[in-house]
Amino acid sequence: MLFRRIASLATLLAIVALRLDTQMMQLPFIDRRPIAEAFDNYADGDWKQYPRFLQRVRDCTRPGDSIAIVAPAMKWDDGYSYAYYRGSYYLTGREVLPLVTADDRLHPDNFYRARYIATWRAKVPPGRYRVICQAEGGALLQR
Amino acid sequence: MTAALIAALSLLVLGLPVALALDRRAAGPLLLGTAFLYGSGLIFLVLMLLSIVHVRWTVVTVTIVGLLGCSVAWLLSRLTPRQPSNQATQQPRFHWLDLATLVTMAGYALYATIAPLWEWDFWAIWGMKARVFLDAGGIDWRFLESRWNSYVHPDYPLLVPLNFDFVALLQGGWSDRWLGIFSVAWAVALLLIVRDLAGREASPIPAALATLVIAPIAASRFIGIAEGPLIAFGGAAVLFLRRAMLFDDRAAWRHGAVLLGLAASVKNEGIALIVSVAIAMLFVRRRDLVRLWPAVAIIAPWMILRVTHDLPTDIASGPIFGRVLVRVPHAGEIAGILTRTLFHPFFWAALLLGFLIVPAARRRELFVLLVTAIQLSFYLATYFATPNDPRWHIATSWSRLTEQLAVPITFVVVLMLARTAAGPPETEAS
Repeated sequence: MLFRRIASLATLLAIVALRLDTQMMQLPFIDRRPIAEAFDNYADGDWKQYPRFLQRVRDCTRPGDSIAIVAPAMKWDDGYSYAYYRGSYYLTGREVLPLVTADDRLHPDNFYRARYIATWRAKVPPGRYRVICQAEGGALLQR
Repeated sequence: MTAALIAALSLLVLGLPVALALDRRAAGPLLLGTAFLYGSGLIFLVLMLLSIVHVRWTVVTVTIVGLLGCSVAWLLSRLTPRQPSNQATQQPRFHWLDLATLVTMAGYALYATIAPLWEWDFWAIWGMKARVFLDAGGIDWRFLESRWNSYVHPDYPLLVPLNFDFVALLQGGWSDRWLGIFSVAWAVALLLIVRDLAGREASPIPAALATLVIAPIAASRFIGIAEGPLIAFGGAAVLFLRRAMLFDDRAAWRHGAVLLGLAASVKNEGIALIVSVAIAMLFVRRRDLVRLWPAVAIIAPWMILRVTHDLPTDIASGPIFGRVLVRVPHAGEIAGILTRTLFHPFFWAALLLGFLIVPAARRRELFVLLVTAIQLSFYLATYFATPNDPRWHIATSWSRLTEQLAVPITFVVVLMLARTAAGPPETEAS
């Protein structure tokens, strides 16, 4: 019985020690600016201008408009997934059409279906386009 | 920040009559914790109802219907007989160890609000839906049905996005800067419930220790996504149902069943939790199974909408049985990956050791053990059925899924070990 009591106490203390969240406990007492900076950059990494470009695209379009995204990375896992998801988040109310899907298949039909082409740091296929607005290394084009 | 704080406080106030309608004797931490969770659930049901009847969301429409629901709950609470004061209605006594939990949660509040929400799953799933629905003034079925938007998991229930929409309606537009306050509120609500329930069956030190150990689990690091609220609703539901069975507590049955339905309204794992609880009850308390009806009633509208709008579930897409058959021979490999990538492995080992040290408790806590094991088996089955690469799926979800399971089992093991370490059995509230 005594052994069981000692073992219980030891296990209980071990559980407490293993789950104490010392990082959270320290947070109120440390300089949090580096952490804030890191999380500020977490979503967009090296593509800091991209959300600002998307915001500009949002301002230049209306709800219901369809927009295809052209990004520097046209492979799903190389960055297109980020460009498409982030575009969809900033351009809610519009229909954002992907030009690449998760299986890396190209969807040129969406390029021709979309009312606008939002191209950021990337070239679009040759053709006649009207520039609707430009910002942060990108342009919103209308065919 | 003001709008998010006002929204959280509004949900607390909206939820108070609901909590009292279910449990007239509720007071102190338990009342505060359950009130916020019910407020959060009520606003989800209000926004969903408005969408179903095609009424555009505005502050006015949401407030009117919210107050209406609140008034019905208040009237019901007047009809519920008040429990006479006894040991079961006593407020928990606090201990200086609770300060450690308080500091942990202060740190968590700073962490959750340190920057605009950064999680990929926030802006690609939970926040995305909230923002789309806000623009549409209701649930945008066309968006959910679009084949280009399958990445948002259209089949997931909508409690979390609709809570974010409530904040956006109050602040008059979308901003993800302070939505982390809701992650804090869900976590604090769970801890208030845990502290109160633990205090009813243990002395202040073990109750404070159980809350301290559960705090980092409740304080999910995945800010702005559904893990935190699922842990809160699901953990609280299982703990109330456990209490209902151990102490024949009728109010705990009601809390447990309603919170279970709300857990199912957060994420598909919550729907699986209803099934896990039902199966566990078949073994432990078959005659009380019918008491879970509120859980089914709460999730039923979403399940019907999901079917009528043909919203796909990625796990179930394609030849599911074929995938399982192909992966069964690789079960050892999958088990190896799960073992290697288990989050906090020594903690789980210590919990297991706890049950080995106190074998008599295994029978007493059979319900929690069974729920945990059955839910775990569902998660494991998912890795065999997933249309994705199982290694990728495990790497991106296993740590989150194990945390979802951890609250009830941690609660019972900590209290059980404390009871055994203390020696003679303590008096328990009944």
